[in-house]
Amino acid sequence: MNADDWLRAFAAELYQRRVGGDAARHVVAEAATHLREGGGDPWLVFGSPQAYAAAIVESIGTTPGPRPGPVRLHARGITKRYGRQVVLRDATLTVRAGQIAAVVGANGCGKSTFLRICAGLVSPDAGEVTVSGRLGYCPQQGGTADFLLPDEHFVLVGAGQGVPRGPARQAGRAAARQLGWDAENAVLARHLSGGTRQKLNLTMSTLAQPDVLLLDEPYQGFDQGSYVNLWDQLTRLRDEGRAIVVVTHLLNQLDRVDLVLDLTPAHQGGRS
Amino acid sequence: MNRLVTVAEMTLRELARRRGVLLLLLLMPLTFWLIRRDSYVGQSVRALLLGISWAVSTAALFATSAARELEPRLRLTGYRPHHLYLGRMLGLWGLGLAISVPFFLLTVVDANNLRYGGIAVAMLCCVAVAAPFGMLIGALLPRELEGTLLLLTVVAMQMLLDPADAGAKLTPFWSSREIATWAVDHTDDGYLTRGFLHGLVVTVLLIVTVAGVFAVRLRRRRHLHHVPIA
Repeated sequence: MNADDWLRAFAAELYQRRVGGDAARHVVAEAATHLREGGGDPWLVFGSPQAYAAAIVESIGTTPGPRPGPVRLHARGITKRYGRQVVLRDATLTVRAGQIAAVVGANGCGKSTFLRICAGLVSPDAGEVTVSGRLGYCPQQGGTADFLLPDEHFVLVGAGQGVPRGPARQAGRAAARQLGWDAENAVLARHLSGGTRQKLNLTMSTLAQPDVLLLDEPYQGFDQGSYVNLWDQLTRLRDEGRAIVVVTHLLNQLDRVDLVLDLTPAHQGGRS
Repeated sequence: MNRLVTVAEMTLRELARRRGVLLLLLLMPLTFWLIRRDSYVGQSVRALLLGISWAVSTAALFATSAARELEPRLRLTGYRPHHLYLGRMLGLWGLGLAISVPFFLLTVVDANNLRYGGIAVAMLCCVAVAAPFGMLIGALLPRELEGTLLLLTVVAMQMLLDPADAGAKLTPFWSSREIATWAVDHTDDGYLTRGFLHGLVVTVLLIVTVAGVFAVRLRRRRHLHHVPIA
């Protein structure tokens, strides 16, 4: 592990231990400066990232995390078959306000189907879903109009909730900026790159201020910076009290979520 | 009302930006017209009407197919099914009227001794029927190729069937042909009345069917229960 890897692991450890954003950035910057100026192996200088993070927590304390609120999404006993193939069997998930849940599992294990059932776009063969509040959904692909500008997408979504055009455009641009994207001077959706198009997709789903946000692999095509912005934004939304469900196959972010639903069938080693 | 207008506006914006499609939409009735230009004037007018019907139905089919992925998420943001299908239909009717105007002027300039009011009514019937007809095919057939082939079959039937045949009345664009006969051949007013009634009934039937299909496709599923936040 080189210095950069060590710093990354240290930052993740601070995050997990709920050290406040500014304090964590400050501590990581100080450690980086120390390593750059003094040199040396961070393991010898500071010890393991976990141990050093624990020492930091000991000295500066932590930001109390928002306590999970009331249940916002409760999916119980979800079973879905396509023909004779059982895609989902008795899947259950409860997400409270202020929580992020990750839905993981092998390809074809029904992650997207589960999310579409939660969004009410597909009917299950058995099971029920109860949603408290407004629902937002970001599909894995599609869901945008090729020949419309991003601003027009924002107007279209805004009109659904009775938001006038101006405020809808402003809200959309502001949400896009959170993902590091300037939507103001953008081109038609069909000319956007895959990653930027996915940012548009994601912005549309958060624009409606949903209480429950369902995201189906929302980071497809994202570069590293956008990926970090995405998780920062999800954390912010969680801290505002939203319940978030993310379908993902990138397991390295699981330390940033509160719940994990593994849909891999039991005979393949899953733990749903 | 704002939702309806917004969907209609976005439909028009999308179609207006498809310049190639627009060009082909104009080219199609023009080609139909030109092919029959040298023969009897009634033939060229009927071919023109059929071209407009085909062009608007095709635009409706493609617009409906393109919105298939977008509509469920718009439904989640507060749209009701009728906002989506009626808004789209309004946009397509607007497009159909815009396409029809130059062709109406073409008939005024090119052909004498026609009942021009009848030509205008026939074009209105074409547009009124074509938008929901194309939308219905787009809603029922998820792939554009199948939809286009079905449209082609219907238009070919319309072209080949004898209008006096009882079966011809079951084709969606029979009304425009009947009204065109009144306008070109100066037949009795029964042609106009029958044609207008046929167009009205077919349009209403198509709208009701589109409403049913969209209501089923964008229905609130029974397994999903919404609870207001306390």
